Amino acid sequence: MNSIDASEHYELGATELSPSLLTVIIDTNPHAWAALEDSLPLAKAVANILVFINAHLACNYANEVAVVASHSQKAAWLYPVHNDATSQESSDRDGDVSMNGDGGAASQTNKYRPFRMVEEQVTRKLKELMDSTHSADLRGNTSMLAGALTLALSNINRRTIAWAEEHGGASLDDAAAEGTGATGTGPSRYSASDEDERLQSRILIVSVSGSSNSAHQYIPVMNSIFACQRLHIPIDVCKLSGDAVFLQQACDATKGVYMALSEPRGLLQYLMMAFLPDQRSRRHLVLPTRIDVDFRAACFCHRRVVDIGYVCSICLSIFCEPPPGNECLTCGTPLDVGNYGSRPALIQRKKKKKKRANGASAVGTPMSRGTPTPGP
Amino acid sequence: MADSDEEYVGDVTDDEDDFQVAQSDRAQPRKRKQRGGAEWELSRTWETLVEGADGTISSTVEGLLEANKRKRLLKDTTPLQRGIIRHLILILDLSEAMSEKDLRPTRFLLTLRYAQEFVREFFEQNPISQLGVLGLRDGLALRVSDISGNPTEHLTAIQALRTQDPKGLPSLQNGLEMARGALFHTPSHGTREVLVVFGSLLSSDPGDIHQTINTLVADKVRVRIVGLAAQVAICQELCSKTNRGDETAYGVALNEQHFRELLMDVTTPLATQKQSASSLLMMGFPSRTVEPCPSLCACHSRPSRGGYMCSRCGSKVCSLPAECPSCGLTLILSTHLARSYHHLFPLRNWVEVPWRRASSSACFACGLPFPAVPPEAQWSAIESHTKGMSVSSRYECPACENHFCIDCDLFAHEVVHNCPGCQSKSAPVVSERMDTTA
Repeated sequence: MNSIDASEHYELGATELSPSLLTVIIDTNPHAWAALEDSLPLAKAVANILVFINAHLACNYANEVAVVASHSQKAAWLYPVHNDATSQESSDRDGDVSMNGDGGAASQTNKYRPFRMVEEQVTRKLKELMDSTHSADLRGNTSMLAGALTLALSNINRRTIAWAEEHGGASLDDAAAEGTGATGTGPSRYSASDEDERLQSRILIVSVSGSSNSAHQYIPVMNSIFACQRLHIPIDVCKLSGDAVFLQQACDATKGVYMALSEPRGLLQYLMMAFLPDQRSRRHLVLPTRIDVDFRAACFCHRRVVDIGYVCSICLSIFCEPPPGNECLTCGTPLDVGNYGSRPALIQRKKKKKKRANGASAVGTPMSRGTPTPGP
Repeated sequence: MADSDEEYVGDVTDDEDDFQVAQSDRAQPRKRKQRGGAEWELSRTWETLVEGADGTISSTVEGLLEANKRKRLLKDTTPLQRGIIRHLILILDLSEAMSEKDLRPTRFLLTLRYAQEFVREFFEQNPISQLGVLGLRDGLALRVSDISGNPTEHLTAIQALRTQDPKGLPSLQNGLEMARGALFHTPSHGTREVLVVFGSLLSSDPGDIHQTINTLVADKVRVRIVGLAAQVAICQELCSKTNRGDETAYGVALNEQHFRELLMDVTTPLATQKQSASSLLMMGFPSRTVEPCPSLCACHSRPSRGGYMCSRCGSKVCSLPAECPSCGLTLILSTHLARSYHHLFPLRNWVEVPWRRASSSACFACGLPFPAVPPEAQWSAIESHTKGMSVSSRYECPACENHFCIDCDLFAHEVVHNCPGCQSKSAPVVSERMDTTA
């Protein structure tokens, strides 16, 4: 019937679109930002990111945002800030701003409230973070990406659960899982059963530092990437400087957007054009993706990049050649190396007849082990 | 599920009696077993309920829910040596007994659905493993899909089973023999495993099944069984013998949920037994290529533009992990290896926090506010009777001593396998867990 009077067209339009949660991970490694000082100072970059966040918030009144700083020695929340003593001064429990006239200048009063709250908290927390950084913390040129990703994922998990509860359990599976205490449904609870009826989450990493020094973070970062893949959360990467094999693989695995900016000054434009559309809009867009993702593995013994490697069947460590002593360098298991890398067997050279005749061998005819003859 | 089910079981057992005469007195006991299953004792759930101070039971109910969530978390987290490279044969019962409707919609349809989920989850958790599927129908073992590492093949093969109805009697022996044959050529560094979903209470075998069990033990094949009806003695014997006396390899599903849990438990790799051989495997790590015009792939002979070049012989395969069709080299991405690391380096269990140490006010990871600490006099009154649940709703990571809520605890251990606290701090804390591989 509907197809006759064409009313289904209007019903379609009436369905409410679920909001999306954008988590921005800002790499605040001071080393790398100092190197970028000429083209894009941190203050300007943060201002650009705030404009981008405002654009995201303006897309849908229910859209949410979270900002995590991935600093050189720790990962910290910039927004939302939980149980923070200083935040209680400016706003009370409901988020109402106290009327004592502190903080907010007169020019701020006309700003859309969500915009202002994000801006105030992010800048304040960022300042605190920078103030608390000592010169001793600046040794490594890395950032705590794994921690930032894990924090972001925990928040996404919390928001997804809260959103599903508010909306009466978006999908049946989720509702059942919540109802029974989610004992065993593990994977089903976390796999996106119905894309459109969940809170849409995505993660944007604004990255400046290279990953070459962060080998110890490999497993945690990979774990977070697999979690994103499982939850259908795309990881977008906006790379301002440095190289990052992890991040390329992260984007590839989670179907996110990877962009290395050749011109960091145009950050805002890149953000608005490439990273603003949410998952639903992205289905209709041609996305800027990288084709040549570096998938090669580095061996554990010499850190060489290998095409063909040897893998320990117990701990899955990668070696570029059979390890010395045929013992795995990581787990110490004696390994059955098989024939890899061994030299072809040599035929023993024929010994001289005389020698053998002089020896005390009891073997009858010395000729019996002599020249190999064809045939029997 | 209780009421409607009881009616139905009654109906079906009447019909079944003609071909299962030998067990005609089975209808009543079996029904009881289904309720109790392996855990025979009644659990008196009402006895754990305690009225709260306000006269309601809501606090206890919430506590029970929380304890339930946490129950599966408290598994052993000692980093065991596990057989990461697995060869598993999934045997599905396709006999008459599977058409019963005690599991909704029927045992058969539910098994097929869960089998598909199992295949997906199995390859998610064990990307470099191999799987094959067999069926038991009409007294014969039926090959559903050959042993391979490609999930889509198995999924379509299982999907195709839906069009056929379950029929006849199952033969456990035939199935095991066929599985043994399929696993015969697998290399010794991998595990050999069989998972049987068994809905019947009998097995109509052509020969002596004990003989088969002995050969399975000799071939180091480990058998796990998920029963759908009741415990069967031969299954119990089969599992304990092939798993060196480990009784937990045999489970009987109490309900749909439990059935799923039992299946999904198998996706975690087993701890290796002592004598398993370890070896060094040669593997290729190919790079992805994109060509301007399509060419045929070596695996399916289909034209495609993208693909991966074998690093030894240069033939193109369309998806990884795969074995190079021309030179036989195992082709894999380093990310596939990384996916298995969390089995080898599991996240430690978090501990409950008593009121005495409940200094935090909100979850470290997600910011959920914790209940405030009550005055010291009330500490014992609020003491929970539920095991595994923290009185203060806080859970602490023993390494970084941050406090987390139950949802983050669950999420960190089941999905991310990272501790948000340890990862957010500077290197020393992190490295102690990582230095083995870095």
